[in-house]
Amino acid sequence: MEFLSQTYVALRGPTGTPQTPEDTIGRLSDRLSPATLLADRRAAVLALKGLVRDWKQDVGDRALPGLLDVLSNDAEVDADIGKAVLETLNLLCDVEDTTPNSKELGLKHTNQVLANEKAVNTLFALLGYMAFYTRFASLQLISALLQNRRQVVQSYFLKSSAGPASVIAVLEDKREIIRNEAISMVQLLMLQSSDIQKVLAFEGAFEKLFNIVTQEGGIDGGIVAQGALSCVDTLLRFNSSNQSYFRETTFPQALCSLLFFPWKISDKDPAPQDFALQFWDEQKATNAALLLEIMGILVGSKGGNVQEIYTFTRCLTELGLASNAPTKLKSTALRLIPPNITVPLSEMTITPYLPVPETNGEEWDRLEPASALEVIVELALHGEFNGSDGGKQTKNSLELRTAAVAVFENFVRKEEIKLGILQALLPPEDDTEPPPTPPLIYALANTPSTTSALDPAVVLTTHIASILFSHLVRLSPQAKSLARAIKPALQPSEGSGLFVPADGTPTVPAPAADLDEDEPPQTLLQALSENLSLALLSRSRENVTVKESREWDRLVVGYLTLLSQWLWEDPGSVRDFLDAGGMSVLVEQINQVSEDDTLVPALCVYLLGICYEFNQEPGEITRTTLAPILNRLGVDTLVGRMLRIRDDDRFKSIGPDSIVLLYSGPVPSTGRKSDVNDKAEVWFDWAFVDFWKSNYYTIQRGFSTEPDQQSASTGQNVETSMLISSLRDVIQKQAQEIANLQQQLKQTSKTSGNEAALRDQVATLSSQLSAAEEKRKGVEKEQEDLLVLLDEMAVKRRGYKSQLREAGLDVSEDEEDDDADDE
Amino acid sequence: MSGLTWHYVFKFVITGDAAVGKSSLLVRLTDQRFLANPDPTLGVEFGSKLITIPGEDKIVKLQCWDTAGTESFRSITRSYYRGAAGCLLVYDVTSRKSFLNARTWLADVREHADPHVTCILVGNKVDLVEEPDGGGTPVLTSISAPGKHRRQVTKEEGESWAREEGLLFVEASAKSGQNVEEAFVRAACDILAKIRQGVFDDNRSPGVKLSKASSTNLVLEQEGSGRTCCF
Repeated sequence: MEFLSQTYVALRGPTGTPQTPEDTIGRLSDRLSPATLLADRRAAVLALKGLVRDWKQDVGDRALPGLLDVLSNDAEVDADIGKAVLETLNLLCDVEDTTPNSKELGLKHTNQVLANEKAVNTLFALLGYMAFYTRFASLQLISALLQNRRQVVQSYFLKSSAGPASVIAVLEDKREIIRNEAISMVQLLMLQSSDIQKVLAFEGAFEKLFNIVTQEGGIDGGIVAQGALSCVDTLLRFNSSNQSYFRETTFPQALCSLLFFPWKISDKDPAPQDFALQFWDEQKATNAALLLEIMGILVGSKGGNVQEIYTFTRCLTELGLASNAPTKLKSTALRLIPPNITVPLSEMTITPYLPVPETNGEEWDRLEPASALEVIVELALHGEFNGSDGGKQTKNSLELRTAAVAVFENFVRKEEIKLGILQALLPPEDDTEPPPTPPLIYALANTPSTTSALDPAVVLTTHIASILFSHLVRLSPQAKSLARAIKPALQPSEGSGLFVPADGTPTVPAPAADLDEDEPPQTLLQALSENLSLALLSRSRENVTVKESREWDRLVVGYLTLLSQWLWEDPGSVRDFLDAGGMSVLVEQINQVSEDDTLVPALCVYLLGICYEFNQEPGEITRTTLAPILNRLGVDTLVGRMLRIRDDDRFKSIGPDSIVLLYSGPVPSTGRKSDVNDKAEVWFDWAFVDFWKSNYYTIQRGFSTEPDQQSASTGQNVETSMLISSLRDVIQKQAQEIANLQQQLKQTSKTSGNEAALRDQVATLSSQLSAAEEKRKGVEKEQEDLLVLLDEMAVKRRGYKSQLREAGLDVSEDEEDDDADDE
Repeated sequence: MSGLTWHYVFKFVITGDAAVGKSSLLVRLTDQRFLANPDPTLGVEFGSKLITIPGEDKIVKLQCWDTAGTESFRSITRSYYRGAAGCLLVYDVTSRKSFLNARTWLADVREHADPHVTCILVGNKVDLVEEPDGGGTPVLTSISAPGKHRRQVTKEEGESWAREEGLLFVEASAKSGQNVEEAFVRAACDILAKIRQGVFDDNRSPGVKLSKASSTNLVLEQEGSGRTCCF
């Protein structure tokens, strides 16, 4: 009560005469001086606070220096005066209240407060005090100052010694209001200042922020968790130092566990159901999106380890493809998969879910596990949940499908992956039983129905299929030649035809019955040109409604964009296309152009230009046959038609990140307005627009090149032609060398024949030799035996001789000698 | 998961005059390479490294904040001292000025850091001055190296100042890698010794942390995961 009476006295003035506000404010300002009693100063501050609303300018002019003194001298001592002075300053710096010139006044006062670092230092010091209002009002004032003059406050903050620690301390405050206020202040404080981001990370901001998220209940934690997570985002985005610090901590794992995703998961393990099926509300989706963005920062920047990148990519893929998350969140997840994707999607097994009809999303069926690549293609072609909402073309659902297309595009950026996928699409060598047509090919080759009304869902599927296939063949000669060999055996696998058989295990056994056994199966390129001609005819039929003709146009755009990218720089494919009668289709369309019809004729001219430019293989229709037709159509007219596409909004407004456009077609008179508002459509993707822009000039020049001249594109690059001629030399040399070598080889083989004969001879000789040896050995033995026998005989004879001698018989002398010799 | 790859986390700051080779020391520590012509550090940069303390069988994760030596960033770098357990105070042995300035850097550290912070004085760039093998007394007036590459601070001088101030001391070269890891290991050993004496109260000191294995942070979160819908 005391201050009321004092205020009253101050307002009334000693004499009781009516006073001007200026006087009163002046008098109150005088009382702010340290000479007065604390209680007086407190009363004066409170009185001034009351006056700010109506006399903001005067209070600011007269009292601001005094208030700032009170702030630095008294606020720490007395919580009440602290609260009052902080609130007064807050009002003075407010730029959004109702007073006239509030913005200028607020900024002016802000500048005065920030004239030196003293006030800011005091404010950060005040954050260190536990008193509720001191902390709370200081936070509010700092926020206000940051909002008005962020960079000044930031530079003071970096110089204040107490700043970082006290900011971290308020993040720990148990009182929710203060903590929430602190989060929003910190967000402002570190905006675009990597130094502050680093200091706060050093002081432990990540720990505190994740504590808040956990305390609040993770991603279910409402707007507070959202604030904390967006602070983490700001700390990491564009700040590589903080990113490498963050990777050192356990928080990357915490990111996963907040989404209930395991940190270690192998290719074949399914994601836990806790993760795939969760209750989602809008706030939770917002929080989860922030979490995903943080993962995206880590996975998209350099320096992550293999495990971290794998887990995050897997988590993003799983959430995008196989969860019950809201459509928008799924698109976010898929979009965050980095462009240089290193994780092999074809080897990742995921288990998609499907909502049980009529259960309002409360019951889910688990589908067969499939490779992530199949599921991505399926999602792109048929939309979420296996096309159960394929007819609904809202912005969200189209964003999701184009996000899937983008993942596919990034994945097939590597040549070997492109070729691998195309290889799997080729017909089997032993064409005993053609496999069911992969849905991607089916969507392209399937003849659009002309009898019943065109189904927009089917058109969209075909359109997206053409975009997907363009990514496979664009700028890859090898991929194009593989694609030419694709022969779709049109098995009606509609509805159940789930996946591309990139893994070689088709999921749907389709009846193998070739409807037309007599004719050789059509190639994909032939099928495409037939479908193109059919669609071009249908769009210009008399009885087609505007809406339907627009759908036909979309179909035509799909075919034409694919063909343009396929035929570019590929004479073989051009030949195939011309042989399939593509030329007359295009020319006819270009001929019967009407004024408001720009898109389709422009693309037709573009494709015709490509056909002329790259018609380099001998065949029925050559450049010489084409040239007069072009001349009759008029080269200038053609160029003019082609370039008119640049004026079409559907082409013009395509950017690298935005290919889904709001529906701009005719509004059906019966349709409800909300239907139309939510409707979106896709016409081109950025890759084609980019392709078109890089190459239209070549085509434009090509039109005026004589048929017998080198086409512009081959002559345009000196470097290439030099390279070719040098390569030709190399080949010639090599061919010569090969001939030489072959000759040498012949000679060598001749001599090697002689050698064999000699070897035979050696063999017979050696066998003869060994036989002779054998014989000799036998003879030797015989001789030995004979010698032994002789010896025995001699002994015997000597015996007989001596017997004879004893018997007195005569014994011949010479034989005696013999004996003696023998002895 | 095999999360227990370290026993302690120590926060280090590297400080000292501009161009004495602070960033190069950090890069040598973390990447084992020499950062030839670095741009001046702006603010601070982060790097980390696991080291094994010999004889203790303890693995320590060093989180190092490499600060800018430029005067304009001085106020920013001060913010980092408070939370550090260890400090590398770097000077350039070929620059007397950087050695003299080390005094003011030390004063800064003393003013803002934890009183128990472990400081190691590092004389960098010894590769530039030719030391006689066997560690004989280097001669100040040596003319073996031309002009600016003369040693301007002797090892003895550095050692004696370090002793006066109670700092650890080492001479090192980020270029050759000589003594770089040694400097960090010695500082880490000292911190470990302080922990054993109870100077750092494990988790309460900002610069020292026990391994996360003892924290129940993540386990709790996993337990809380029953909040999904079960169909």
